Amino acid sequence: MLKCRQDLHLLHQISMADKKLLIIEDDLVLQKALSEYLIAEGFNVLSAGDGETGVQMALGELPDLILLDIVLPKKDGYTVLTEVRANEATKHVPIVLLTNLGSISDVEKAIELGATTYLVKADYKLEEVMMKVKEILNIK
Amino acid sequence: MMLKLRQRLYDELNLKKQAADLGISVWQTPSFLFIVMGVIIISAMSGIYIVSTNYDSPEIVVISESLVVILLLTVGNSIIRTVEEVAKSNKMKSEFVSIASHQLKTPISEMKWQIELLLSKFTDGLSEKQLEIISEVSHSGEKMGRLINDLLDVARIDQGQLALINEEMNFCTMVDSAVMAQQSLAKASNVELIVTCNLKKLEVVVDRRRIAVVLDNLITNAIKYTDGKGKVEVIVEEADGFAQFCIRDNGVGIPRNEQSSLCQKFFRSNNSIKNETDGTGLGLYIAKNIVEQSGGKLWFKSIENVGSEFYFSLPLMTDEKKGLGILK
Repeated sequence: MLKCRQDLHLLHQISMADKKLLIIEDDLVLQKALSEYLIAEGFNVLSAGDGETGVQMALGELPDLILLDIVLPKKDGYTVLTEVRANEATKHVPIVLLTNLGSISDVEKAIELGATTYLVKADYKLEEVMMKVKEILNIK
Repeated sequence: MMLKLRQRLYDELNLKKQAADLGISVWQTPSFLFIVMGVIIISAMSGIYIVSTNYDSPEIVVISESLVVILLLTVGNSIIRTVEEVAKSNKMKSEFVSIASHQLKTPISEMKWQIELLLSKFTDGLSEKQLEIISEVSHSGEKMGRLINDLLDVARIDQGQLALINEEMNFCTMVDSAVMAQQSLAKASNVELIVTCNLKKLEVVVDRRRIAVVLDNLITNAIKYTDGKGKVEVIVEEADGFAQFCIRDNGVGIPRNEQSSLCQKFFRSNNSIKNETDGTGLGLYIAKNIVEQSGGKLWFKSIENVGSEFYFSLPLMTDEKKGLGILK
C-alpha cells in the first residue's frame, strides 16, 4: 500500500517536472518566492525579470504556461501578452496574469488581449496560484 | 425604487458635489449654468426686440447683440471649464487608486508569499516559539492586507471600477467553506454556529473571492455582535430563481434609528462602539455593492437586544451565463 502511494507520488512529481513554467516578474522577492515554491512542488521553472527577456524566453523555451506580471521594465505585460499571442509557436500557451492592478479596465484589457485568467497577487496564496496552474494544465 | 433612481440621477448630474468630493471648487454646476444661459438668451432676445422697436439705430442693435454674444460665450466657457476640471480630477483620482493599489499591495504580497514559503517548505530547525511568532506576523500581515483591500475596494466602487472575475460555483459549497472557516471564531466567542441547507447544489456565476468576502463579513459580524452563549444560524434556500442566504443571530441587534445608515461607508453603529468590536465601517458597504454588482440584493431585519437577520440573494445560473471568466 505504502509502496503504491510512493509510486503515485513519484508519478505525480514526474508529470509536473515535465511541465515547464515561465515566470515573468520584475520584483525579485516575489519571483524568488513563487519559483522556489513551484520548484519544491516539482515543476520545471524558468524566470525572467523584464518584459523583453520574457518574450525572448517564451519564444525560445516554449513553456507550457506563463505567469506574467503587468508592470514590467522594457516591455509591459500587455505588450508581452500581445507578442506571445501573435507568434504561431506560442499563441496557445496559457498565460496567467499575476499582478496587483485589479480595476475593471485592467482585467478587461488583459482578457481582450488573450490572457487565460487574471489573479491579484495580494489576494492569492502561493498554494492557490499553484492550484490554478494545475487546474489550467489539467494536473490532478 | 423611484427614490433610488432619483438619488442616482441627482448624483450623476450634480457635478458640483462630485467636484467637492474631489477637493476642487467650481463656481456652479453645468446644469445650473445652462439654466442661467437659457434665462440670458430669453432676456437678451427681449432686450434686443425692445431696443430695435424703440431705437431706429442699427449701431445700438449691433452693440446689444454683441454684448449678448459675449455673455453667452462667458457662461459657455464656465460650463466647459467646470466639466473639464471634474473630468481631470476624476482621472487623477483613478490614477492614484491604481498606483496606490500597486505600490501598497506589492510589499503585502512579498510578505505573505515569503512567510507562506517559509511555513510550507522550510520549517526544519525552527522551534515552536519561532513558528508561533512567524504565524502571528503572518496574521498581522493578513489584517493589514484586508484593510488595504477594503480601502481600495471602496475607491473602486465609487468609480464604478470594481472588477468581478466570475466563474461557475456551487453556492452551497461556498457557504459551507465560509462557515467552516469561522467555526474557531464562533467557538472562541462561545457562540453556536450552525448551517441549514437542504439543497446539494445551487449553481451561481460569481466572483468566488468577492462572494467569500461577503460571506465572511456577514458571518463574523453575526458572531461578533452575539454576546456569548448565543446562537448563529445560517440558512441557504432557493427562492424565485435566486440562491438566498440568511444569517440569523440572537445578538445585540441594531437600534432602529441607525438601520437606514447601516450600509453607508464608514458608518459604525453605537452598538459596535459600545461592545468594543473592531472594524472600519466598510464591510457592509462593500458587501452590498458586491452583491448588487453580481445581480443580487442585500437586506436585513433587526430588533435591538433581540437579534438580527441579514439576507442576500444571487441569481441562479442560466444557460447563457455558462462559461468561465465572465467579466462584469
